[in-house]
Order: sequence, then C-alpha cells, then structure tokens
Amino acid sequence: MRSLPRAAAVSSAVALAASLAACAAGSGGSGQGSGPAAAPARDAEFSLTVWSNYSGREQDEVTKALESFKEKFPNAVIEHQGSQDDDKITAGIRGGNPPDVALSFTTDNIGQFCSSGAFQPLKPYLDRDGVDLGQIPDAVRSYTEYKGNRCAMPMLSDVYGLYYNKELLAAAGITAPPRTTSELLDFAKRTTRRAADGSLEVVGFLPSMPFYANRPQIWAPHFGAEWETADGRSGLATPEWAAMLEFQKRLVDFYGHDALERFRAGLGQEYSADHAFHRQKIAMMVDGEYRTAFLADQAPEVEFGTAPFPVPDDRPDLYGTGFTTGTIMGIPKGAGNPGAAWELIKHLALDTDTVVELANGIKNIPSTKAALADPGLEVDENFRTFVDLATSGKLRGNPVTPIGDAHIKAVGDFATAWQAGQVPDVLAGLREVDRRVDEQIAKSGK
Amino acid sequence: MTARRRLTVLALLAPAVLGFAAFFGYPLVATVVFSFTRYDLINPPEWIGLANYEYMLGDELFARAVGNTLWFVVVLTATRVVFALGVASVIARLKSGVGLVRTLCYLPSLAPPVAATLVFFLVLRPNEGPVDTFLGWLGVQGPLWFADPAWAKPGIAAVVLWVSGDLMIIVLAAILDVPREQYEAAELDGAGPLRRWWHITLPSISPVLLFGVVNSIILALQLFTQAVVAGSAASGSADVTGSTKDLGFPENSTLTFPVWLYAQGFRYFDMGYAAAMATVLFAVSFLATALLVQRMRRATHQEEGA
Amino acid sequence: MTAASGRAPRDWRGALDWVAVHSIGIALGLMFTLPIVFVLLTAVMPDEQAFTADLWPREWRWGNFVEVFERAPLLTYLGNSMLYALLATAGMLLSSIPAAYALAKLRWRGRDAVFLLVVGAMMLPPQVVAVPLYDAWSGLGLTGTLWPLVVPYFLFDAFSVFLLRQFMLTIPQSYVDAARVDGCTEFQAMLRVVVPMARPGIAATALFCFLYTWNDYFGPLLYTSERPDEWTLSLALSSFKGMHHVQWNLAMAVTLLTMLPAVVLFVLAQRSFVRGITFTGVKG
Repeated sequence: MRSLPRAAAVSSAVALAASLAACAAGSGGSGQGSGPAAAPARDAEFSLTVWSNYSGREQDEVTKALESFKEKFPNAVIEHQGSQDDDKITAGIRGGNPPDVALSFTTDNIGQFCSSGAFQPLKPYLDRDGVDLGQIPDAVRSYTEYKGNRCAMPMLSDVYGLYYNKELLAAAGITAPPRTTSELLDFAKRTTRRAADGSLEVVGFLPSMPFYANRPQIWAPHFGAEWETADGRSGLATPEWAAMLEFQKRLVDFYGHDALERFRAGLGQEYSADHAFHRQKIAMMVDGEYRTAFLADQAPEVEFGTAPFPVPDDRPDLYGTGFTTGTIMGIPKGAGNPGAAWELIKHLALDTDTVVELANGIKNIPSTKAALADPGLEVDENFRTFVDLATSGKLRGNPVTPIGDAHIKAVGDFATAWQAGQVPDVLAGLREVDRRVDEQIAKSGK
Repeated sequence: MTARRRLTVLALLAPAVLGFAAFFGYPLVATVVFSFTRYDLINPPEWIGLANYEYMLGDELFARAVGNTLWFVVVLTATRVVFALGVASVIARLKSGVGLVRTLCYLPSLAPPVAATLVFFLVLRPNEGPVDTFLGWLGVQGPLWFADPAWAKPGIAAVVLWVSGDLMIIVLAAILDVPREQYEAAELDGAGPLRRWWHITLPSISPVLLFGVVNSIILALQLFTQAVVAGSAASGSADVTGSTKDLGFPENSTLTFPVWLYAQGFRYFDMGYAAAMATVLFAVSFLATALLVQRMRRATHQEEGA
Repeated sequence: MTAASGRAPRDWRGALDWVAVHSIGIALGLMFTLPIVFVLLTAVMPDEQAFTADLWPREWRWGNFVEVFERAPLLTYLGNSMLYALLATAGMLLSSIPAAYALAKLRWRGRDAVFLLVVGAMMLPPQVVAVPLYDAWSGLGLTGTLWPLVVPYFLFDAFSVFLLRQFMLTIPQSYVDAARVDGCTEFQAMLRVVVPMARPGIAATALFCFLYTWNDYFGPLLYTSERPDEWTLSLALSSFKGMHHVQWNLAMAVTLLTMLPAVVLFVLAQRSFVRGITFTGVKG
C-alpha cells in the first residue's frame, strides 16, 4: 500500500515528460519560417474553421462576411465557431487542434501571440502577395504587430471619442463641446447637479478609473502620454502621465472622492440600457463608436453629440487624436490549411466591399483607408466623428507588451489609489509602477 | 492485515488509485515541474530554477491575494458551517412544509455562480437597489457593498453563504441519518430537545461537520468566479459569463489567490509563475488540512477507534 | 383547553415552539427565494429594462422563454447536459462507494495517509490542473467530446469519496462487525449493510454530483466549446453576449431554464432522505 503514491508519481512523471515532448514536437508547425504556404487553386475544394468570440446577431454578420469568401473560392467550406475566447485559442494551439483562422477581441494579447509564435508570422505572405500595408491606418497597424513581427491582421476597429449630452450642456449655457481639458473641467463642473443633501444627481464628467471606458490606455493619447521610453522600457514617469492624473484628481476633488464613489456605485452597467449616459446621469464621457448604435436603439430620447476628446490647453496639436483597438485575426500555429487561411484573412481585412458591409453590419469602424472613404459606408452625423478620427492619422493603438494587460492593470491600480488620495508623489509613484512593469516583462523573458 | 483483506482493499480502491494517478498525481507533478520553468503556454517550458519563487517574494499583489484568500478561509469556514448547521437543524424540526422549505433553501445553489453573484449585485446595488431603498426608509445609509474595498469581501461572502444550500442539505441528511433509537433512549432519560441536539445530534454528525469545514476551506481557497464577477459588476463591466477586465476591483480587495494566479497564467501568459503559486497553495493548504483532520479526529472520534 | 388543564402548558410550549420554528423556516425560505424571483423578473423583461434599477417588469414578455429556443439549440444542449450529468453520476457511484467504504469501514495500514491524499486532491486550483490535463486529452484526440468530462468520474472523484466516507463514518461500526460475524464478505457487508444504511448520504452525494456536472461551466467550456454539437446548457449563456452588448433578459431566461430540470430532480430526489430515516429506524 505504502508504495502506491510513489508509483503514481513515477508514472505521472513519465506521462509529463511525454507531454512536454509532444509540445516540443508540435512547435515545428506547418510551413512556418520556411516561406508561405501556397494559396489554394480557385476551384479547389477545402474547408476552413474560424473561431471567434462573437455570438448572436454579430456572429451572423461575421458569418455572412466569411461566406462572401466563396466569391473568390466557390468550393470553399467555412465553419464559423463563435464564443471562443483567447484561453480557448491558446488551449487549441497547445493541444494541436487549433482552427485555421482565429479572431480575438483582446488586442492586449498581440504581444504574446506574436512573440510566442502562437500566431504565425504573416510577413512571408505579405511579401509574396505584394500587399501594401499603407492602406491600413498606422495606429491599427501598430496593434496588430509586435516588435516588427506582423502576426495578425485587423478586422474592423473601435475608435474612442467624446460623447456629450446636448440638453445637459445647453441647460448649463454651453453650446459647443469642450476642446481643451480646462474647458472639460469647467463644463463638467457647470453641468453637475447636486441634490439638497449634497449627494450627486448628475455628474458632468465622471473621472474615476476604472469606469466604463475610463481606462489608462484610452485616456493616454489625449494627453500625449506614451507607454515606453525610447529604449523600450516602461516609461510612465513623465510629465504627460502626471498631467493626465492631475487632471483626473482635480475633478475627483471637485466632487469629493466619497460622494463620487457613492454616485458611481449606483450607476448601471456599461453593457445594459441602464448605462449612466443613456439615463442622462453623466453629461460627458469617453466611449467607442459602437455606443452610437446602442443609444439609438436603447435611449432614442437622449440628444447627444460626439467630438474628438479634449486635449491639454498647451497641446492643441493633439486635438483629433484618439484611442483605437479592434478585432485581430491570425493563423494559429499548427493550423491545418495556412495557405487558404491567409487568403481568407486577406479577404476579410482588405476586400473593400466585405469590410464596408461588415462595418455596416456590426457598427464598427472599417480598418482600411479605402473602406473608410467608401460611399457605401453608412455614416450619420455622430458616427462621422469617429470616421474622421480614424482618417486623421493621429490615432494611437493599444499599447503592446508580451505580458497581456499587466501594464494596464498596474497603471489602472495606480490611478485608483491616486484618485483616493493615497499617493503623495505622482512621479515617484509612477516610477514604482515602471519598475514593476519592467520586472514583469523581464520575468516573461521576452 | 491478512493477504485477503489487503486484496479486498486493493480491489475496492483500484479505480480510485488509477484515477488519482491520472487526474491528480500527473497534474501535480506537472505543476511542480512547471513552477521551475518559464512557460508561456505555447513554447516548451524553459528551466529557470527558483526564479518564480524569488519573484513571488517581491510581488505585492501576491501578498495582497494571500491576505484576501485568508480572509475568505476564516470567514467562510466559520459562517458556512454554522449557517448550514443552524438552517439544517431548523428544517429537521419542521413538522410541515419540510419539502418546500428544503427546496427553497437549496434553490440558490442551483443558480450558475455568475448569475447568483449578479443577482446579489443588483439586489445590493447602492442608491436604487431594493436593499438600499429599504434601508433608506429606515433612515440608514447602506454601504457601497461591492464598490467599497471594505465591503466587497463581505458582499462576496454573503453570496457564497446564500448558495451554501448544498452543505445545508448534506448536514440535514446527516441529521436525519442519526439512528432514531438513540433519540428515543435519550428521551426516556428525560433529555430536552436542546440537550438531545447537543449530546446526540452533534457528535453523530461530526464527521459530516468535518467535511463541511474542509469543504469550506477548499471553497475559500478556490474562490474565483464570484470574485471575478463581483469585481467586474462593481466596475460596471459585467457580462453574462464573467468579464475578466477588472480583476480585483475595487482596489484589489477582491483579488483572491486563484484570481491572481489566473491573471498571471492566462492574462499575462506566465504559466510558470502560476504553477509556482499553485505549488505554494497546495503545499500550505495540504499541510494545514492534514493538521486539521488529525486534530478533529482526535477530538471527535475516539469511539471510531481507528 | 379547559378540560385538560394539566396538559395545557405543554401544549402551549409545543405551539410556541411550532410557531417559532415555522416562522424561522418561512423567513429562511423567503430569504433564499427572493433573489431567484429577481432572476425570474429579469427573464420576462424587455431587453431595454433588464439589469436596470427598475426591477418590476414594465411589460411581461413571456415570449423571451420562446425566443431563447430560437436563438440557441437548447434541446441539443439539454441532451448533452443530461448525458454528461447522468454518466458522471453513474460513474461516480461505481467508483466512489467502494473507495469510501475502504476508507471508512476497513482497517488497514496507510489508510489515513490515503485519506489525506484524497482531501489533498481537491486542493489544487482547477485552473492549473487543467493545463496538463487538457494537453493529455488532446494528445488522445478526445477534446471536442464529452469523454474528458465523464471518464474521471468512473475512476476517482475526490469530493464524492470524501463526502461518502464521512457519511459512512456516521454509521456505527457495530453494524458492520455484526454483518462480518454473520459471515458476510466485505463486499456483501458493503452492499447489504452499509449502502442501504447510508442511502440518504449516497442519494445526497449522487445529487450533488449530478447538479455539479449539470452546472459545470469550466469543464465544458474547456473541452467541448469548439464543437457546438457537444455544448451543454451551461455554455448557452455565452450565446447572449456580444462584443459590446449583453442580452440580460435572455441570459436570465436561459439561467432559469437550466435550473428547472435540476429543481425538478431535487424535489423528486429529496424523498430519498426522508425514506432514509424510516429505513434506519426499522433496521434498529
């Protein structure tokens, strides 16, 4: 009896060794490194599996776009599998049964996808087919590659800007949206309403982090705040980051931290019709273009406008910038049919008609310049702001690291502590965040 | 122990031994091996010795996660067992409507954890939620619950208690399992209901209570879904399957050990570090449980005479 | 009342006791039910009201329960959930009862150590255990099926072995010894004495196994989500989540539909606890 556990340990150690060997064996992959896999013939019969994290109506729209691939390859069969998150994609790759094409919402993971080889490098295909990447806006290109290794292509993008409630602004005697942070501060104060007992009823601009789209990566471009130093280290201890946080703190202090927390704790969920902006409880906010569709659908009574997010008074050059991120597509390591997978990715990323139709279908911003300019793109006045931002050339993509969103959480945690008044010295605090982010990156070995 | 007896034991345990080796022994060995490596889940693990354990010493959020999880271990173990025992004792004494009350108490455990947590979040929602509205009538201002670092953990503990119908049913089954003649004998001796409960019910069901304690410790050590959902709902970014956008919100007060382990392993792609965390968790909790089980056995199980 | 004055105090105390116990019972029932009522209310709301502070449906949309069937092949999922839960429960009973018996009612060297290992088996975080196990199952080409979920139960389920052992410990050893004296083999003693006496415990363990697998989200997500034909009901929730949008009302409707078979099962199965008492009583 007593020897049993030992026997179990020995046998499982053997099994472990076998599984590690299997991992190593799988890493050769099909055709990667040794040039691109050949494209299928036009009339070839082949099938491709596509994993995405869409569901419901959005999944149907994407399936429709995938089906349009048959105009080029009539005998292709495409199986679109929704509700697959990044953990699932990683597991599929590790287990050796990945899809041919993987779609991910989590652009934070692009550093890992590229540097680990989870997504195959696309450069050989781009070179072979002479694809001009100039047709994709710079910022969108930046979040689909890591350290020069392009391992993904964009499928539509989200662009963030300012939403403002026209009625609430007008009631405070404001006729145009703020262009500078001091205007934002001033308008935020003027549109704020308190009840008789001093509690907040309407908040002009809610500066807490994290809250809805109040996230460091979404705010940073407007303050000219960069994530890295020139030599590739975490570079948060800068006057720009400090200015951003000072701005945030000034507003928090205006409301009072506790009053603000109480107000904010009672607000509805970002993904529900009870969203504070829908309910007219906040006058201004930063959010993505997709909100226009939800407002039209769930809160048609809200009269709102959109504009580029305000920038610091001394940085007028930044006006018109914004944060962008989006769905990324890649060919997972070990994909059965990489040659055909590339053709499908190319079709979804670059075929103007397909991109426009998909953008109209799920109300996102197209990720090519041609599609952005296409007359077929359905654009209303509020959506126009985001299309203009996307074509401005000033957008900034999601910051890319090999450690997922660890750096974003580190800054977010710091902003939370800062807004609660727990940080005496902003720059010293940011240096500490830098140190931790660098340590985490060093730990990743990449 | 005769050879025959030994064979019997082996025969009874054979599937379990096989399953234990495959589904526990193998992952455990793999985890310990991974803990000495850098492993991004895609490329073969790379041996880095004790580096993961060294990093752990300086990882502030690791310490934070340990603290949060210890809080849950202490609070959940105490409240869950007492709660289950109390509710089961009341139900066991009901003369009518037993089935109904039993079903109602068990009902919440049937709700998926994500839904259960979201429901609590809605009910406790400050300002507009029913509980806060009710407290408002009484002139009391309720806490911010999941949005307040001081109240988020108690809020999650409340959710876990609410779905503790399973333990309650187990205790109830054990109470009903106590051979009736023991009660009858005690009643003849003139023992009242309370004394019967204390002297007969409690000792007879002590093995099941020990199960409750160990089960609660494990539950607390593995508390993940409720913490993730509470954090994402309080930050306003909840979704139906549990968004992992705002792990630990607010101010990392809901960053439990498994949540941080998950973040490191799957969000930051450092399975080596996650494995090191798992190894530490396993070693510590295994030792603690071993001590606990031995002590409880000594205290409560003289009559079993092992 | 007036006639039997001598017995009145006792009746009074009995009545008070009855009232007290039952009001606590009712209060408990309410406390446990109310949140479920909120799930129900949300499930019949219009989409634009769900998950808002407005808790009473403005409009009762019972059609939501029909709509979820149009949105997702729930009957297929139901079949898979049944298969998973039933097979797992059957497998658990086959593998865990003998193991629990060996740990509870037989005396042998190393028993305590083995018991500790059983408890220890539950201590590894599932997120980590899943990594090597997933690799092994996909090495066998079995991901995308229910096998990785079901097979373990036929061999070893730490939770059930532990729970069953604890239940068996509450059965006085004298019963087993008596059976042995009567010439029963261990196997007979287990099947004829311990299993019938532990029936409430076994029923409870089986029920938990069933309900745990019924509600299991992590396992099916990991092993079957790539093949929608193999999805279980617990995965259906993800059909109501978009990139930037959640249909809370439909999600809650599916939650209720998922709970319904489990509730029915529980209502039916709880009788076996009650039967347990009488059985034990007769036995003595």
